[in-house]
Amino acid sequence: MDHAPCTQASTAPPPPRDAPADAARREFLGTAFKVSGGAVVMLAGLEAGAISETHHAPPPGGDAYNWEEHRWAYVIDTSKCIGCGSCVRACKQENDVPDGFVRTWVERYIVGPGGSYVDSPKGGLEGFPPVPTSFTPTKAFFVPKMCNHCKETPCVQVCPVGASYRTKDGVVMVDGSSCIGCGYCVQACPYGSRFLNPATHTAEKCTWCYHRITKGLKPACVEVCPTSTRAFGNMLREDDPVRQTIDHERVSILQGHLLTQPQCFYLHLDMEVR
Amino acid sequence: MEHSRHVFRVALVVMVAIGAILIGRGFLVPRSYGLFGPYRADNVAEQMKARPPAHQGAASCTPCHEPKATAHAAGGHKTVSCEVCHAPLLRHVAEGKVTGKMPIERAFALCARCHRRTQGRPEKFPQVVLEQHVTTKLEGAVCLECHDAHSPKL
Repeated sequence: MDHAPCTQASTAPPPPRDAPADAARREFLGTAFKVSGGAVVMLAGLEAGAISETHHAPPPGGDAYNWEEHRWAYVIDTSKCIGCGSCVRACKQENDVPDGFVRTWVERYIVGPGGSYVDSPKGGLEGFPPVPTSFTPTKAFFVPKMCNHCKETPCVQVCPVGASYRTKDGVVMVDGSSCIGCGYCVQACPYGSRFLNPATHTAEKCTWCYHRITKGLKPACVEVCPTSTRAFGNMLREDDPVRQTIDHERVSILQGHLLTQPQCFYLHLDMEVR
Repeated sequence: MEHSRHVFRVALVVMVAIGAILIGRGFLVPRSYGLFGPYRADNVAEQMKARPPAHQGAASCTPCHEPKATAHAAGGHKTVSCEVCHAPLLRHVAEGKVTGKMPIERAFALCARCHRRTQGRPEKFPQVVLEQHVTTKLEGAVCLECHDAHSPKL
């Protein structure tokens, strides 16, 4: 019986030799968890609070333009394009696009059983001269291209500073004053529609002429297209010709396998076109 | 309790750090950031008035150039906006006043952009092999010797 306590002592956990220090460590860990957890919640709350204001903040543009009433989309009928390049020139003049760069461009595809040839001299700015091909072409066509204003935008996702964004009316734009010119978005865009402006060193791209469409005008490229290859419209208006086309015609998109949900829709697109 | 003073010291440091982050954040994050999403909301309004619209459409030319506009609207070039061959209206008129001379391009290269036979154009679109179509020398305003640019019929 005498050594019973001894046995008990040996099987039981050793008495806390440093009891106050241990308690302090536990308390410290608890406090640290609470504080850091609280900080995370507080910081997250700031973001969430800011974003939840979305519905209360007045839309930009005042009374003249309500972006809640618009969701823009673009239709390109490649069978109508004559490759004049008016759109490319109009875009350059409208938006002061720097030399050597384009926000929209036209590609020419010359295709035959023996091969295919694709060109876009200066983006089609000065038209397309006849070219000799080493094969006998059986079909040839022009494909105007531009930013597809994707719903699932790779370019916006990679922007580290929140300079790229997609508006509520469906336009992907770059905030030049926030852009640090890292060029991630230029690489992320699968359509090659962005570039770094050599003067401002910031990313630049098609805005669907946001300064025009918010005033009831069409984008410059649509305005000047002589063959109605290009059309621009509001998907929230049921009688809009562009919505009618997208709803009722057989339209295709570029690089659908990337799941970027482009908002430029093509009619009569050939499988050669990427 | 006297042994747990260092806990409060650490907590104080953490609080000061968080405070510094929040204050720094207030300076660094633009005011309108996050209003509609993770971007500076003010930029949307800035983009709206980034520049005045340069192209104003063919209808805006009619008030001053009535005869030309009528001939143009009746001819084969009626779908070709004035600004396609000339220049954006803003280069010519700003705020209702003539600010500059509208360029008039007469060289055959302008016509060739659309009407030179080249691969890619739809077959039905009128196009010519320049070297065969023009019997004289292919230079300057050779197209305008026979065609009227505003209503191009022979």
